[in-house]
Amino acid sequence: MADEFAKGFGILVTAGLGWLTLAGWYNTPGFEDTQLIAPDPAAANFYDTVAILLKDGLFWFAILGALTFWIVIPAIRQAREAYEGRAEN
Amino acid sequence: MSENESTTDGTGSEREAATDGGRKAADGSGIVAPDDETPTWRERKERTQGLSQLTYEYFERARREDQDLRTESDYVERDVLAFPVWPHEMIRNLALTSFFVGMIIFLAAALPPHIGAPANPSQTPAVILPDWYLYWSFGLLKLGPLNPDLALLGGQKLMADRTYGVVANLVVVGFIAIVPFLNKGAARRPVEQPFWAAVGVFGVIFAATISALSVKNLIPMDSHLLFDLTFLLPFVGGFLTYAVLKSMREGYMFELNRRYYRLRPPK
Repeated sequence: MADEFAKGFGILVTAGLGWLTLAGWYNTPGFEDTQLIAPDPAAANFYDTVAILLKDGLFWFAILGALTFWIVIPAIRQAREAYEGRAEN
Repeated sequence: MSENESTTDGTGSEREAATDGGRKAADGSGIVAPDDETPTWRERKERTQGLSQLTYEYFERARREDQDLRTESDYVERDVLAFPVWPHEMIRNLALTSFFVGMIIFLAAALPPHIGAPANPSQTPAVILPDWYLYWSFGLLKLGPLNPDLALLGGQKLMADRTYGVVANLVVVGFIAIVPFLNKGAARRPVEQPFWAAVGVFGVIFAATISALSVKNLIPMDSHLLFDLTFLLPFVGGFLTYAVLKSMREGYMFELNRRYYRLRPPK
């Protein structure tokens, strides 16, 4: 269980750091303005397009990855154990 | 392992005083396995994967190094039972330090902070506030409604509201200053001293609410309600903490937790 927690936590903080960096580049108009969650700017070139796509990908990877290891996988394991236990009885 | 020793060579009172395994000789028989038959932690609790394996390997290695140290001829028994600074603590500290230094370098390189226009010394800013970590002190200056007017003085207040705010700062800082003398910090878990844990929670919540009070014109809430909540929420949190911790005491293994931390009794 501790391993699954560490995996989910690692995904959360690592992907979250990547999202934080890219959102700081593209979605932060100013230090005393909206930070990190401003609407996406119009992509000027190919690199911007890739970076904004990567930013969204990292954001959802951070959330869904952590949820996967903290909730989905343990739930599947418990369900499987319960199912096997019922099969024995 | 200490169970075997204590039952053979110790009475109940001696067993109570011996916190490090039963003997005081510097022959390596303190916390380590007394003979070859005694199972090691590895044998007792075999862990075969991941973090649990790593943890047990760490403690097994630490126990082994402790044993080697104790069997050295120039070993001096100390008062505090702990891991050596080198390599145990130092490796961990270097890892933590490297992580945080790397994080600072990364953030400084990837997200350099915005530097605004220079301050205009001839113009008063629209919002005058201290830095956020001093909001609590700023909030204590706004306790005017708590400053009582005395019938003895004919409805006059004993001191001005601003003086009252400064005195409130002195009271809060004074209380924080005497806390180390009221409680020596013997508890290793909040459940061991629910009252003082509740006092701590009270302080943390009060720091947050008094900070919110200091910027009450920015908080989207009725300022009278905010003022009341400032002093009610800390009590609510404190009572909740006390109740929860008090109910958690049942089943808490005080001796087990104390065993790892207690100092040796003085000779």
